[in-house]
Amino acid sequence: MALIEIRGLTKQFRKGDEVITPLDAVDLDIEQGDFVSLMGASGSGKSTLLNAVAGIDRPTAGSIVVHGVDITRLSRGKLADWRAANIGYIFQTHNLVPVLTAYENIELPLMLLPMSAAERHKRIQIALEAVSLLDRAHHYPRQLSGGQEQRVGIARAIVANPTVIVGDEPTGDLDASTTEQILDLVQRLNSELGMTMLLVTHDAKVGGIAQRQLRLERGKLIEKGREVSVVGASVTSQRA
Amino acid sequence: MFKFAPYVLKGLWRYRGRTMLTVSGTAVALFVFCFVGAVQNGLAQLTRSQQAERTLVVFQENRFCPASSKLPEDYARTVEKLPGVKEVIPIKVFTNNCRASLDVVVFHGMPPEKVRSARDLTLAEGNWSDFETRTDAAVVGQAVANRRNLQVGKKFTIGEVSVSVVGIFQSSVAAEDSFIYTHLDFLQRSQGKNSVGTVTMLEATLDEAAGPDAIASQIDAGFRSGPVGTTTRSKGIFQRDTLSDLAELIGFAHYLGFACVGLVLTLVATTTVMAVQDRVKEHAVLQTIGLRPLRIFRLVIAESLIQSLIGGLLGIGTAMLLLAWGGFAIGAEGVTIAFQPSLELGLTGAAVSLVVGIIAGIIPGWQAAQAKIVMALRQA
Repeated sequence: MALIEIRGLTKQFRKGDEVITPLDAVDLDIEQGDFVSLMGASGSGKSTLLNAVAGIDRPTAGSIVVHGVDITRLSRGKLADWRAANIGYIFQTHNLVPVLTAYENIELPLMLLPMSAAERHKRIQIALEAVSLLDRAHHYPRQLSGGQEQRVGIARAIVANPTVIVGDEPTGDLDASTTEQILDLVQRLNSELGMTMLLVTHDAKVGGIAQRQLRLERGKLIEKGREVSVVGASVTSQRA
Repeated sequence: MFKFAPYVLKGLWRYRGRTMLTVSGTAVALFVFCFVGAVQNGLAQLTRSQQAERTLVVFQENRFCPASSKLPEDYARTVEKLPGVKEVIPIKVFTNNCRASLDVVVFHGMPPEKVRSARDLTLAEGNWSDFETRTDAAVVGQAVANRRNLQVGKKFTIGEVSVSVVGIFQSSVAAEDSFIYTHLDFLQRSQGKNSVGTVTMLEATLDEAAGPDAIASQIDAGFRSGPVGTTTRSKGIFQRDTLSDLAELIGFAHYLGFACVGLVLTLVATTTVMAVQDRVKEHAVLQTIGLRPLRIFRLVIAESLIQSLIGGLLGIGTAMLLLAWGGFAIGAEGVTIAFQPSLELGLTGAAVSLVVGIIAGIIPGWQAAQAKIVMALRQA
């Protein structure tokens, strides 16, 4: 059984009289430790798929089963609890809380888990060390460079040791040299710590570092030139 | 919830200009709320006390200002003989201002031995023997002493009355802290020969079993055919009648208290709405990390509550200190209402701040909690 099983995932928007279908009965399995990149043209639905997997957007139909839990059926509160325990989200624009230091930003996800202050401190130190920012722990976001902010964002995403790390254009706002550093960091997290990763990017170079490279075209997932198909896949739920 | 206290406090500090303005606005509103409440407390105590019900005040018929009420002093002996009357005190009242004023000075001229026995006064400075032996001696209420900077050993003159301050007292009845007690015959003489033998009013204390209304009617009936007619009422009713215009204003000021509550609500709610609108994306990030919508709601409520409570406590504290220190009183026609701070008033103010802080945060908190994460993350 795959770590993430996506079946018949459909998302539709209404724009005036037009119905847009960025995800059209998508099926996908992601195994534990996979590094998956998701590419496609702007508006192709790649962020929509990522957000559905991250549990911050609801599909129109279909199911997303992570570790045996169909997250499309969870209530808003339960889904928030599930995200706290299972998802590390790396944003394109860092999205650090400006009034909190790097240390406090990284601490946020841990405050939602049953954990002592000492354990939190230990994990934050490890995360800061992983992103080479121990000396910037008590700096505020405005005192950090763009690359350092993104590294804090990555530390915040990994600190709770989530089931899946998702990244929405994590290098989209960075220069070439900083992008290299961030990609190197992301690769190490996957190869050394075995973290499962799903990255959305429109940059082929960024997508190229992943083991599995998927494209979204006209609502369908394409891998190695063919539509992704999953044996025994079927639509398990349908909602209006 | 306390784990997120640094986030809430730092969030308020981030927009400190706005936070300070909200806190100061709330402080001013609660300050006014306490002042209004203190006046109402003073009026309530004046008209509802035990003494107000068991004591009759005999005044000259159809007269309101103490300056115009002149009763023969020997009426006291007649009233004292009535069954149910325990004691009668003839009182000469002199005031510097018969109209409503915040700095009214009221002299009560009484037989010196009665001042001590009929009033619950505690001398904070000076001594009673000086008061009883010197004819121009006066004991001064603490509130009026504070307002007029009076000290033991000083002379105090107002109009044609000039007294030597021999004591400063505190009374169990807050309104009396604004009085000056002096000798009856001294006050009679100081107002000219015509005043000798006359008093402004008689104060009759009744037995426990006596009916105040019946005795009042008996007194007025007895003097109807005498040289000067009388109007007799219980002390509470007398004070309420005398202060009726003022009482009406104070009653209206009640609405001012409600307006203050409304003001705080609007102020805190506006600030909280602005704070939430400025942080739509931030709240979406927090939800993405795993904060439940209910927790976002509680964080917003906490911000609103903190501003309201800090402002409220500042306003209440300042008002209480000023009221306790200033000894403010408003008076008319020789009757004064002391602005009376109390623990109950302070707690009511704090409860108002608390409730208003919660209510003000409900709508913005709900908006923040209900925001769609993906839409909110797209905001610039």
